[in-house]
Amino acid sequence: MHLWQATLPFCLLASAALPAAAASGWGFTDATVAVQPKGAGINGGFKEQFSSSKPLSKAVSFAGADTLRVTLTTQEGSSAKRPHQAFLLLQDAHSGLDISYPFTVKENGKSRVELTQKELPLQFLHLADPVDARVVIGSFGSSEAYDSSVFKLSIDRDPHVPIPTVEPARYGKLPEIHHIFRDAPSNPTIIITLAFVAMVAAALPVLAGLWLLLGANVNHLPTAFKNAPLPHALFLGSLIAFEGIFFLYYTSWNLFQTLPAAAAAGAVAFLSGSRALGEVQGRRFAGLR
Amino acid sequence: MRWCLALLLCCFLAAVNALSSSGSRLLVVLDDSTEKSSFSTLWSDLEGRGYDVSFESPKSDKLSLFEHGERAYDHLLVLPPKSKGLGPNLTPKHILDFLNKDGNILLALSGKSATSSAVSSLLLEADVHLSSDRSAVVIDHFNYDTISAAEKHDVLLLQRPGSLRPDIKAFFDGEGVLALPRVAPQTLGGESALVAPILRAPNTAYAYNPKEEIPAAEDIEATGSQLNIVSTMQARNSARFTVLGSVEALEDKWFSASVKTPNGQKTTTVNREFAKQLTAWTFKETGVLKVGEIKHHLVTDGEVALEDLNPKIYRIKNETFFSIEISEYSYDKWVPFELPADDELQLEFTMLSPFHRLALEPTSRTETSTVYSTKFVTPDQHGIFSFRVNYKRPFLTSVEEKHEVTVRHFAHDEYARSWAISAGWVWIAGLWSVIGGFLAFVVVWLYSAPVADKTKKTQ
Repeated sequence: MHLWQATLPFCLLASAALPAAAASGWGFTDATVAVQPKGAGINGGFKEQFSSSKPLSKAVSFAGADTLRVTLTTQEGSSAKRPHQAFLLLQDAHSGLDISYPFTVKENGKSRVELTQKELPLQFLHLADPVDARVVIGSFGSSEAYDSSVFKLSIDRDPHVPIPTVEPARYGKLPEIHHIFRDAPSNPTIIITLAFVAMVAAALPVLAGLWLLLGANVNHLPTAFKNAPLPHALFLGSLIAFEGIFFLYYTSWNLFQTLPAAAAAGAVAFLSGSRALGEVQGRRFAGLR
Repeated sequence: MRWCLALLLCCFLAAVNALSSSGSRLLVVLDDSTEKSSFSTLWSDLEGRGYDVSFESPKSDKLSLFEHGERAYDHLLVLPPKSKGLGPNLTPKHILDFLNKDGNILLALSGKSATSSAVSSLLLEADVHLSSDRSAVVIDHFNYDTISAAEKHDVLLLQRPGSLRPDIKAFFDGEGVLALPRVAPQTLGGESALVAPILRAPNTAYAYNPKEEIPAAEDIEATGSQLNIVSTMQARNSARFTVLGSVEALEDKWFSASVKTPNGQKTTTVNREFAKQLTAWTFKETGVLKVGEIKHHLVTDGEVALEDLNPKIYRIKNETFFSIEISEYSYDKWVPFELPADDELQLEFTMLSPFHRLALEPTSRTETSTVYSTKFVTPDQHGIFSFRVNYKRPFLTSVEEKHEVTVRHFAHDEYARSWAISAGWVWIAGLWSVIGGFLAFVVVWLYSAPVADKTKKTQ
């Protein structure tokens, strides 16, 4: 028995290279964790015992108005004693958040800490996963300090009660922004456009057909060209040239190219037109029209 | 004569080479010469890196941070004075003025004695808070030096800090253990983006006033990683203010001390390297960014002609190219700036608020710089826009570039032609049918012979 007791610290020493004096370490006994809902009696709510060798397997649920109470007796070696540091350390493994709540320790090692959600930093209330509750006991001198996870604390809160978000100003990259462009102007379906184009284009043959029905003809063309060939050719030519100039203005010319050309065509139309129309007048006087 | 000049120039260049990016005049404020000798390695290291170190006592009448209204020194290192306060020449206002004029400050505290209220109020200006009685010391019963502090546990042994966040460059990392004796802890205000911790206490640490027996539960203000051992404030003008909780960590004794954690091996401290990293960062030898050439132009194939570079005016929906060249100072030279893995250098195209915020990608590297660039289409909104690069990160000097350009509408001849718009075809067909009809009418009117029976009726 004695031999076994002697070899255990030695093994520890060899494995962790502890100084020999650190063989006696801090620890605790008689530990309970209780969650007391608001208004419940002293013994109401959840209560569970735990020990340093046997942490609670199930997460402790800690809701909005509950009071979490952890009591234990601190020990150095196996005798109850008051340490310099006795903390309940809540730690989120994911984000690395940590906060400690010191136990109120009596001279005989009896320690107790009470906690409500109001005392937790806001960051903890936003955590989805249970946090790690650890007991940290340590003091000056050579005794080995104790730090171990004893239970998981699940911080539950009413999802309908909003809590302020914590987003302190920190320099970092900002979300990307891509400008949303206005929609490009849209066109109706090409079929509809083509149908209307066909209707518009059909107006010209319809007009021609109606005129022919009413007896429109070009029977005087040979007579007119025999009487005044040059004015008629120039007058018709200048009218067609006008349309050509407008076409070029539409496609590529600018106003300064268009105006001189239009002036030239206009002068030709004026001069040749008066002669050509004189010839038309002559035909009227001759009773041909 | 000529070689003499060349030699002089060489010496000058060598001296310039090993300098901080913002000057070499360093003032060390310390109490007396006995204190000075215990930091001799630090001084020789600083002088070896090209600093021009001068020492003054806080009580000295000659001590002045300014001369003719300008900074008399580029950097300031303040060791905790034994007397109360820093004296009439180093009031918090003087020190803040020094900071506002781009001077860098390394302020060391000590947990051995209470910090003066003058220093405490100076730190408050930087949103760095000391414990309420200003005489707390950080204790950790898990990470202490068993050789020198077996009883008191007030010599912390910590790993060098890694990067603060995955998107922040680590300037203080590396192997090895730091010994930090008798740390005066600081806590940081949560609201400011300018303050950042360099080294935090482990989560089992706590602070207490060693004059008190056992701290009552309600006396403990901050614990664990809320306690900072080294913290910084980089002002908006990129001047740096570093607070080191443990001045003793800079002493020769701790630069290469053998230490041992409760359940670890005996090792030698790396305080000397950490002191180098800390002073180098504070005095702007590292983490300094410089913007080189900024280019923007329309996206074209091949080279851009000089007259097309950085135009004053763009049109809406123009495909635009933007590039910025950034260098980083590293101890004695400019090197290409590399972004940390999770970080982005972002370009904003802004009129009042950003219309585009895009990541700039590294496209090419020169010997001293990296060129970051991106392409984007200008928004369909005319107005006065600006290309903005606003890169502010902890531990890096800020990059704030703003280049204004006009974005105009389409000109009258830049719209699509009517025949390209299918809805316009009906209108075009109508126009030409009118023209055709007119010409046909002219021909018919000029040359039509009257129909025989109709003329009879009228006659």
